Amino acid sequence: MTTVVEKIPVFLLAENRLLREALARILNKKSDITVVGAAPYSVAVLEQIAAVSPQVLLLDPYPAVRGEAPLVTVLRNAIPGLKIVMIGMNPDKEFFLQAVREGIAGYMLKDASAVEMAAAVRSVANNQAICPAELCQTLFDCVALQHPAFPTFQSKQHFGLTRREQQLVAMISRGFTNKEIAVSFGLSEQTVKNHVHRLLHKLGASDRLAAVEMCRGNSFLPA
Amino acid sequence: MQTIKVLVANRPRLMRELVLATISDQPDIEVVGVLEEEAAILESVERAKPDFLIVALDPSEERPHICDALLERFPQVRILALAAERNSSIFYWATLDIHSNRIENSEEGILTVLRGRKALSSLEQDTKWVPRPN
Repeated sequence: MTTVVEKIPVFLLAENRLLREALARILNKKSDITVVGAAPYSVAVLEQIAAVSPQVLLLDPYPAVRGEAPLVTVLRNAIPGLKIVMIGMNPDKEFFLQAVREGIAGYMLKDASAVEMAAAVRSVANNQAICPAELCQTLFDCVALQHPAFPTFQSKQHFGLTRREQQLVAMISRGFTNKEIAVSFGLSEQTVKNHVHRLLHKLGASDRLAAVEMCRGNSFLPA
Repeated sequence: MQTIKVLVANRPRLMRELVLATISDQPDIEVVGVLEEEAAILESVERAKPDFLIVALDPSEERPHICDALLERFPQVRILALAAERNSSIFYWATLDIHSNRIENSEEGILTVLRGRKALSSLEQDTKWVPRPN
């Protein structure tokens, strides 16, 4: 009796034709993967992808596409359940976190091999996520900072701090710069500066250190 | 049948694997070496005497540094620089100067350039290396 293996349908969205052609040939040699389509990005590509109903989309977000931030979101909204794996990426923390927020299932760095690419397809199809070891800490830090242990009610009543300002003061107390905070929150550095300015004003603090000391003194932050 | 000897030294790893997947099963093409680092290129070219060298083309699309040093010592070698992100590649060769031509970054584009080696050989006659003025 022969067992029929259900193949994982994959779509390749990449500008580089060599990458599309050769990677499709390599993946199609795998007994459990089938490439159902490959195309460069265009305004019509969404319909093309939807028409072949892939389970996994390998996305090479070359510069022209990177400018269009909501691409991953648009793809996921158009094709419910689609697992998107970004390939050929740099270990850029900001871009990685943005991609995670948009809903990617995997993020593969430039030095990944074709074998690793095939393994990633299998993993995301099996509801697992792919995160490079270099970026795991970034993800852990980001999640940890989303829910700082901070007595919300007291600080709000006492100083009128918003939730965002409470998060900010907790991050400042841990030595994060405005730029690092901006990356974690997905905000611009200028927006974070504005938040910090308002925070200092509400606390009546002259600088960041004074703000942290003031919150610690009122037991709003651990000493 | 005379084979076309190719030394593969492009980055990143995935693109190198894709090039190898494209050319390694062609009966008229022989892969004489695969390098992960450019530092070993000159020595490998001297040893393996390839007809073609495949290297990476940076996003700036500037002529790879290895071209000048390599073509000065081995003007008969052709260099194919492949872009990883964009859909373009550049083909370099030397006669009295270094020439280049843009090709499509595809399996067909690469194989056409590699197999066009003989067509270019007529340009090589009675030529010697002359460095470009700065």
